[in-house]
Amino acid sequence: MALGPAAGWAQTDLLEPQRAFAFSARALDEKTLEAQFAIARGYYLYRDKLKFSVEPAALASVPTLPAGEIKDDEFFGRVQTYRTRLAVRLTLDAPTAGERVTIRAESQGCADAGVCYPPQVQTVTLTLPAAGKGGGPAIDATPPRKSWFN
Amino acid sequence: MNRRYSVWLIVAVVGAVALGSGLYFGTRVRVPEAGLVAGADASALLGIALPDASGRQEALAQWKGKVLVVNFWATWCTPYREEMPEFVAAQNELGARGLQFVGIAIDDADKVRQYAAEIGLNYPALIGGYGSIELSRTLGNSVGALPFTVVVDRSGRIVHTQLGPLRDAKLRSILAQLL
Repeated sequence: MALGPAAGWAQTDLLEPQRAFAFSARALDEKTLEAQFAIARGYYLYRDKLKFSVEPAALASVPTLPAGEIKDDEFFGRVQTYRTRLAVRLTLDAPTAGERVTIRAESQGCADAGVCYPPQVQTVTLTLPAAGKGGGPAIDATPPRKSWFN
Repeated sequence: MNRRYSVWLIVAVVGAVALGSGLYFGTRVRVPEAGLVAGADASALLGIALPDASGRQEALAQWKGKVLVVNFWATWCTPYREEMPEFVAAQNELGARGLQFVGIAIDDADKVRQYAAEIGLNYPALIGGYGSIELSRTLGNSVGALPFTVVVDRSGRIVHTQLGPLRDAKLRSILAQLL
């Protein structure tokens, strides 16, 4: 077993923010996208720090965020947070079928272990389907590791 | 060999190699709290200069020869509220023996000034941008989270790094070896 660099390391495990808050997006139909965060156990995102945008297509309206879990923060007061999973529908204004669009998500979150991550921006680029053709597969902003070594 | 055995053999071999190299399965990473860079030269850290909340440049090199505790923090990260009043107390008590705290805030100067006044901050609060997070990564903050603290001894060697709050009991036991 590893007695080299591992010796003297703490038994604390923390995830890189892009894996603690794994962002993905997919097209539901020709004008609706779904942005999703898969949030690792023990981590949470702040509702009021979330921002979504799409380029070059514009959003038809400000996306509606679901109600979060109330966290009684000792210093920030009552704040809403998300754990486990957050899915948000994004409706595009005058989209063009077959157009490549980039979904941009800005978020900020913390780990219950007592650390916070700086705000991060994650993006997914996908092709809008033609009208009536249904949706597309979910695309990960940070693809899962292909092996144990990368 | 049938297919099922082949798959299991591959899993077993890859698993043994991964364990042998000290790697974790999946995406989890280990956080070096102390050890990875302990004993390392702190000159990358001591070589920087950052503005304080009033805009005056402060070079960290001016505190060479002291026991230096550099704390990366931000007002948007609440755990700092636990450790900073303890840092203020330790600075007050042990400053005369050569202890110097320096805060590097990944934050706006306005927010830093406001909080510094609120708790009667008695050590420099420098303003670092997100570049300071990158600096902290090179010092052992592998995931770029806050708070993160580095303890440097009088000879300029890193003796401890801590991701997450550095609570008073642990801080005191580290300082007891150095002052």
